Amino acid sequence: MQIIGKSIQRFDALDRVTGRAIYPADIDLPGQLHMKVCFAGHASARVKAIHAEKALAHPGVVAVFTAADVPVNEYGLITPDQPVLVGPSPHGKPGEDIVRFPGDQVALVVAETEEAAAAGRALLEIDYEPLPPVDSMEDALTADAPLVHPERARRDNIILEQNVLHGDLTAGWAEADVVVERDYFTSSQEHAYLQPEAGVAYIDEDGRVVEIVAGQYTHEDRRQIAHALDLPEERVVVHYPAIGGAFGGREDMSIQIVLALAAWKLGRPVKLVWTREESIIGHHKRHPAQMHAKWGARRDGRIVAAEIDLTLDGGAYAYTSAVVLKNALLAAAGPYEIDNIKISGWVVYTNHTPNGAFRGFGAPQGIFLAEMQVHHLAEALQMDPITLRERNILREGSILPTGSVIPPGVSMPQVLERLAREAGWRHENDRWLRPELPELPLPDDLPHTALDRVSHEWHRGLGLAIGFKNIAYSFGYPETCTVTVELYGDGEIEYALLRYAGAEVGQGTHSAMAQVAAEALALPLAAVRLVLSDTAETQDVGSASASRLTFMAGNAVIGAAQEALQRWRDGRRPAVAEYTYHARRTTPFAPETGECDPHVAYGYVGQMADVAVDPETGQVHVLRLLTVNDVGQAINPQQVEGQIHGAVAQGVGWTLQENYIEKEGRVWTPSLSTYLIPTVMDVPDEMPAVIMEEPDPQGPYGARGMAEMPFLPVAPAIIAAIKDATGVWFDSIPLTPEKVWAGLHGGNR
Amino acid sequence: MEIRLTVNDEQKIWQAAPGENLRDLLRREGYLSVKYGCDSGTCGVCTVLFDGRAAHSCTILAAQADGHKVTTVEGLDDQGRLDALQEAFMETGAVQCGYCTPGMLLAAKSLLAENQTPDDDEIKDALNTVLCRCTGYVKQEKAVKLFITRTKGA
Repeated sequence: MQIIGKSIQRFDALDRVTGRAIYPADIDLPGQLHMKVCFAGHASARVKAIHAEKALAHPGVVAVFTAADVPVNEYGLITPDQPVLVGPSPHGKPGEDIVRFPGDQVALVVAETEEAAAAGRALLEIDYEPLPPVDSMEDALTADAPLVHPERARRDNIILEQNVLHGDLTAGWAEADVVVERDYFTSSQEHAYLQPEAGVAYIDEDGRVVEIVAGQYTHEDRRQIAHALDLPEERVVVHYPAIGGAFGGREDMSIQIVLALAAWKLGRPVKLVWTREESIIGHHKRHPAQMHAKWGARRDGRIVAAEIDLTLDGGAYAYTSAVVLKNALLAAAGPYEIDNIKISGWVVYTNHTPNGAFRGFGAPQGIFLAEMQVHHLAEALQMDPITLRERNILREGSILPTGSVIPPGVSMPQVLERLAREAGWRHENDRWLRPELPELPLPDDLPHTALDRVSHEWHRGLGLAIGFKNIAYSFGYPETCTVTVELYGDGEIEYALLRYAGAEVGQGTHSAMAQVAAEALALPLAAVRLVLSDTAETQDVGSASASRLTFMAGNAVIGAAQEALQRWRDGRRPAVAEYTYHARRTTPFAPETGECDPHVAYGYVGQMADVAVDPETGQVHVLRLLTVNDVGQAINPQQVEGQIHGAVAQGVGWTLQENYIEKEGRVWTPSLSTYLIPTVMDVPDEMPAVIMEEPDPQGPYGARGMAEMPFLPVAPAIIAAIKDATGVWFDSIPLTPEKVWAGLHGGNR
Repeated sequence: MEIRLTVNDEQKIWQAAPGENLRDLLRREGYLSVKYGCDSGTCGVCTVLFDGRAAHSCTILAAQADGHKVTTVEGLDDQGRLDALQEAFMETGAVQCGYCTPGMLLAAKSLLAENQTPDDDEIKDALNTVLCRCTGYVKQEKAVKLFITRTKGA
């Protein structure tokens, strides 16, 4: 391979270091209007009336839009259960006047200037009738809970309940020598991409509504905009410029529909930029998870029975909750073959900000449970954590809890062994021996981090965890990806044009697909030109999510390249090939048993945390977090490392510091000074990234998706390290200093 | 009100609105490398060099910039020839989504103007004024170190 596997410099890096890269907020159009969104600010209420007279009378205000102005007042990635604008309307669609979380959008104010739009918004008079809120997942499941969606036929708050049953639990429990039963909680998380939502929309000369915005899936944005505006999809164009991060947070709509609506109604360009606070209250989060697990093992380490209950807070609208739950359920068995298992899951509506896609998509919650259970079993069995994992680990041919054989290319055992060796463990006499910890450094010797200011008695510990996650869409969804390759020249190919819709959210997919095209066409990289991320110019590749783009689009680019070359040889000029890659078909859960062939393919990861804990303050600092990640084939190793480092940093944030608080109808952490993401001082001092390349038989050049996997074991690895350092197990995150301190002093853990 | 300032070595006479911050003024005047990320001096994507030192331009009133010297990333290159720090960011893969990149570059520039041989702690201190959600900061630190190695050799 000539171009694949090389750390080429991203072609889009130049614009980003010179400040020339254009993000949505950087675009101004002649004659543009400015828009402000009026958020409900209530968790649960009925909008009785919206009085816009004073707002409309304000100088510069051009229009106020409410539910009555939305042609089809509903949207949603899977279930269209969310009004575009909440309020009464002549359509009289049941439930469209009910506010279900503080960030519900109630009205849009469009004005000649941003200031006038803000002033107009402040003059809106909205009559709310407060309704009783559902403020927790426990409350959502009580028999007399208020209904978050009373318009549904279903008379409870359950979005989805699903069981996965496999084997014979009674027989399993009879075999078990030790049983571990625990409760766990994992918290919400805000994406905190640094570019808040922004965009412009206008009507082009062909009468199409064109929107330039940051998202994760151009064609899905177009579909949902067209649906709400009651337009054929051809009348809508979605284009992505540079995107300032996403991490799942741009997978569901935020501003896309309302921005297009205003431009469509007014026939003028409209610009919308959310503030940081609007971004935090206005878009979805990671699902908090309340979990219970009872696992049994034989004295030889074989896990013989597992019962798992897992409840996710879906928040106010369904978003991708049903699929997040399914992913969490399968991840909750961990990367282990367990013959007798019952997994029960619920995802419920509450009056919280909706929860949806965020790096890992349910797998971090499930892996948390599984790895915590294995930590506890290792302790109960007095067995080293690697040997116990080896005795249960998924291998080629293993049967999953869904009754299906895991797809070939299973490298979990190799990843675990590599992790152990890289982390300094030694295999002797059928067991693994941990490395000696270097002597506790004196405070002056610690790297310069937040921790060196405080204590003189740091406790140090090591912990490891492993994980796996699906690549691409699952559970029977027809998973496809379409790209176009065009070859230009006469005698020889002068250049190739790749038309590729994939969302470049920072991960480097545009450059990576240029590499794949160059490799497949045997052309120099400079001979590959790109037309990118525009529904009018490119075909549907699916979303930048589920660690799927490299895998799916890589295969599509190879297919298109091969067909284009064939046509070139047949004398076509230009030689054009549009190619759709169809992934292996999966199947949906059987309703009662969860039997299915759930996922196309998997990626495997293992991590080791080395932490320092200050018992006086409860502060935890990660000195080193080692990642071993099987990526099949690194297309661009430098970019793969970047994904590993970024995932680790986000995982450390989720585990130790990111504390999103929403209760009593209010988001209490609506800024980056109250919602703290890791700074350069908070990330691990060292983050070695070991890239393994065990090819996936279905992957392009063997590549697996990888960008979510290094998030998964971070939390359970750190918790094991804290236990190693202090002797105390923690069962919930985030492990803020006050929580750790309380736990070390006998309080709630 | 009228303010006079130097931006990237060019004299400017601009009108600023009362209460307008320097970030918004610079963006209005086309310096789009200065990004919006928050209004509280927390995220650092609006970092500029203010009289040569890194500062969050959202926390400086436009009026306060009167008579001062401002540098943005648009002014880093030398007539199209990239600054060696920009090169180092590209080579090391320190750029992912790129939204924090201008702020990171200027935070590092500020340090390197005062201290051409900073140690690891000093580099962390300098980069600590800018948030990044993509990179875990690893390659940005690496880029600064690469720059230092190269300029030492020069």
